[in-house]
Amino acid sequence: MPRRVFILGLDSMPPRVLYEGMDGGGFQYLRSLVDESRRYLLRSCHPPITVPAWMVMYTGKTPGELGIYGFRHRRPGEFGYYIVNSRYVRAETLWDWAGRHGLRAGVYGVPPTYPPKPVHGFMVTDFTTPGPDKPYTFPPWLRRELEQATGPTIFDIVYRSHDKSRVARDLFHMLENHQRQVEYLATRKQWDIFAYVEISVDRAHHAFWKYFDKTHPRYEEHPEYSSVIPRLYRSIDQWFEKLHKQLPRDTVIVIASDHGIKAMKGAFTINQWLAEQGYLRLRVDPRGLKPGTDLREDMIDWQHTTAWAWGGYYSRVFINLRGREKHGAVEPKYYEETLKQLRRDIERIRGPDGEQWKNMAYRPEELYPEVNGDPPDLMVYLDDLNWRPAGTLGWQSNYLPENDRGPDDAVHDWIGVFAVYDPEGTIGRGDAGTIDIHRVRGLLEEIILSKK
Amino acid sequence: MAGKKCVEIREDLYEKAKRFIEEQGGFQSVEELVEFLLEEALSAEEASGQGMSKEDEEKVKERLRALGYI
Repeated sequence: MPRRVFILGLDSMPPRVLYEGMDGGGFQYLRSLVDESRRYLLRSCHPPITVPAWMVMYTGKTPGELGIYGFRHRRPGEFGYYIVNSRYVRAETLWDWAGRHGLRAGVYGVPPTYPPKPVHGFMVTDFTTPGPDKPYTFPPWLRRELEQATGPTIFDIVYRSHDKSRVARDLFHMLENHQRQVEYLATRKQWDIFAYVEISVDRAHHAFWKYFDKTHPRYEEHPEYSSVIPRLYRSIDQWFEKLHKQLPRDTVIVIASDHGIKAMKGAFTINQWLAEQGYLRLRVDPRGLKPGTDLREDMIDWQHTTAWAWGGYYSRVFINLRGREKHGAVEPKYYEETLKQLRRDIERIRGPDGEQWKNMAYRPEELYPEVNGDPPDLMVYLDDLNWRPAGTLGWQSNYLPENDRGPDDAVHDWIGVFAVYDPEGTIGRGDAGTIDIHRVRGLLEEIILSKK
Repeated sequence: MAGKKCVEIREDLYEKAKRFIEEQGGFQSVEELVEFLLEEALSAEEASGQGMSKEDEEKVKERLRALGYI
């Protein structure tokens, strides 16, 4: 008999919260489970971002093999971008595999699963769903049943706002909605594996991290905001304790995240820097623009441009390569040399006070066994992710104390969590070292097929 | 009219479906119910084709921008 496994996905949960107790007293039941679990430090992928990380976990394929390097991608020769959705995930997921083995799978909120695909079980899609009016479940009639039983589905909140009280209210409202739905599905439907991702954890971290993490460079004790993250943890903890007691006793519980989280030190204007270094020639004065202006195709003097970049939790840099780009200026014979020089220059970027940064610039083929889809020329992390690359223009300094896209206190970190609680005791307990996120899929298969 | 293929289903499920139709009506046979449910289950899959409409993609882009992912 295969093992029944429930996977509680806590997006962006770092080990120091779940394993080391930095939870403000929020996790009590989960702590007791984790203490009895086999605990791995989960090494996230390149890039350590929700998309592609959860799909790397559930397919066992690296981002290069999946051809997914983030939410957005650019076809060669185009300036604009497209967004990946479930149709771009061509590798077999854990739930496809389960179906092939005659097992039933429940999938809730795993990004990106919209549009929903057929599954031997049921599926509710994730926060990349365009809206609750769309067909977001499999089977399609599950949507109506779920809404009648638990109310309309809430996919996400807008957290980049200065109205933090409103953000907190929305956050708990969404979490409770997800909890009602998951409890309904987990207790009334048939399943052998249940994969659930709770995105509100990541949203809470981004919106309230500086009120929670005492080591944050802008830490602020606040009578209301400082309690949001611990209260959110508490809500998950109490809800899960109640749910766990309703599941068959021999269910294996996995608690996992896709990446960690840490304080954001600031944002660095990567395109303004490229312009200053002569890689990017603009037809406009970047500092004369309104702060936060997006880089547009018509702002660029393409004949004199070598490279441009995208911001986000990491930066993707594109070479204006002749033969590939519409107005390519870099001759293919100079491509390697140009990349080498640019990489050296990026690695030399220092902090606002001249301090050394740990910058990393990779070519996709250095990171993955296969490079499919539409990869960038360089994947760049500034100061080991501590500084967020900002792609926008209009800034007086290249160093911004805040995110260029609105208030945000946190950036992603490389290490997440993966803890396996086996009530039957056949899976060993204690610290088990580090596991690469693309190895998790194989481990999950082993657990599911292991004997009690 | 399209040709027909034979599919086997569990006997208890067949009996359950037969009782359902006898008690609730709506379908002439288990075969009709099964065909209807299959069509319904696969219709969203066909409609979504390669993913999202342009309009939906724009909605998602806007949300991802607001979330700071892009």
